[in-house]
Amino acid sequence: MRYGMVIDLKRCFGCYGCQVSCKAEHATPPGVFFARVVKRESGTYPNVRKVFLPMLCMHCETPPCEAVCPTGATFKRPDGIVDIDREICVGCRYCMQACPYEARYFHAKERFYFGAQGPTEYEALGYAQHPTGVVMKCDFCAQRLTRGEKPSCVMTCPTNARTFGDLEDPHSEVSRLIKERGGEPLHPELGTGPSVYYLPA
Amino acid sequence: MRVFTDPFDRLLDDLQETARPQREWVDGRGLLLIMGHFLSGVGAGGWAFASALGFFPGEVASVAIVAASALAHLLFLGRPERFWRMIKIRTSWVGRGFMGLTLFMAASIMYLALRVAGLGDTTGAVAVWGLSLVGAAVIMLYKGNVYAVCRAIPFWNSSLLPVLYVAYALRGGTALLLLFLPWTGLGTAHRLVEVLELWIGLSAGVCILFYLTIMASSSVGARRSVEDLLRGRVAAAFYGGVITVGFVIPVAIGLLNAVTPVSLGALAVVGAASLVGDFYVKYAIAKAGRYLPHVHGAR
Repeated sequence: MRYGMVIDLKRCFGCYGCQVSCKAEHATPPGVFFARVVKRESGTYPNVRKVFLPMLCMHCETPPCEAVCPTGATFKRPDGIVDIDREICVGCRYCMQACPYEARYFHAKERFYFGAQGPTEYEALGYAQHPTGVVMKCDFCAQRLTRGEKPSCVMTCPTNARTFGDLEDPHSEVSRLIKERGGEPLHPELGTGPSVYYLPA
Repeated sequence: MRVFTDPFDRLLDDLQETARPQREWVDGRGLLLIMGHFLSGVGAGGWAFASALGFFPGEVASVAIVAASALAHLLFLGRPERFWRMIKIRTSWVGRGFMGLTLFMAASIMYLALRVAGLGDTTGAVAVWGLSLVGAAVIMLYKGNVYAVCRAIPFWNSSLLPVLYVAYALRGGTALLLLFLPWTGLGTAHRLVEVLELWIGLSAGVCILFYLTIMASSSVGARRSVEDLLRGRVAAAFYGGVITVGFVIPVAIGLLNAVTPVSLGALAVVGAASLVGDFYVKYAIAKAGRYLPHVHGAR
């Protein structure tokens, strides 16, 4: 079993739904985007093009973040998910420098969306899962997976641009899409073996 | 250069296509890490020279400086109370650095205690001194490697960086000893330290030149970093701190000293300027680091 995701860039039209639903699912603090969409405009009027690149933790096969972690807080689960043990993380942020996908965030101190007003009820509840002084990242919605549900960003995507499944199962939808549509990971030249593939736009 | 007054504006900018600058290891409390890297290099280099020359004040100062660097490192951590967990030395250069620093502190303090007790010439003391040198070597080596293994930041991902950091650590060591000259003198080693300072300083300058030349013709992220250094957001630190204070002033006085001996005060200025330059090298390299861009054609 190795969880993976395929993102169809032809279908993504940059609604940021994944970004918002991820924030709602994980109650991440301001400025933290486990799932985010990077955009790029190219060309000159009237021949312009806009490309959206949804990004998240790539849950690499050989994660550089795991190798550099001095405490062993970053670890790889048997199902391929790269996770962080928040009780062990020392907050050195070396993993953030090592991750080529900028998928990690340091939770320096508690911040709320309404500033001095303090946390909303939702924030007070959600932030309990995010201790300060440690690094945080996408975990493919591990809690949802244990309930047999798909990651929040996959469920939210209105164009079904995201497909989630087992990369080691040759008959899974993700394996089929990668094979038939020529899926490629981001920065394959780095040899990290990402579990997130992109189908060409 | 864009100046952000609101962290949210900055974060929105992060969602753009550009090769984003790294900030965690240089801005805010990140400056403590740079200070820690600077101090640990100076302390380890200082120990190597001071203990080889048997210069006790220099040895004590070196240990104190490494201790200060340990404190700076500790204050940088998000969870300093868990520092003892940083023991994964198999793959992590931070873990190796932590172990090196621990070894150095233990061995150097023990060696100094033996010296004070009049047991400095015993076999045990020599063995402890050897261990302290191993710790100092690890301290000098680990910093450059910490950066160099980060493939995410092309400007750092170079095998030249560890060489540069070792060169600057050794230079920091000689600079530290020069600072003592007006007060203590260094006896017969005086001239040797001057020559070493100049020689290592020139070598470090050449090393930087090679490093920037290679990076300027490297990938997009590395080129952007070089632009930042030469004419962008890090230019003031680079030209002012690294080049003028850290290179031109010490080398000019050093060359003058080679022709006509200058005062001990002037040599102490060489030491101080070299140390300032050493700090700015670390600051500028960290500040100029940019992540790989993700979208083809981004800059």
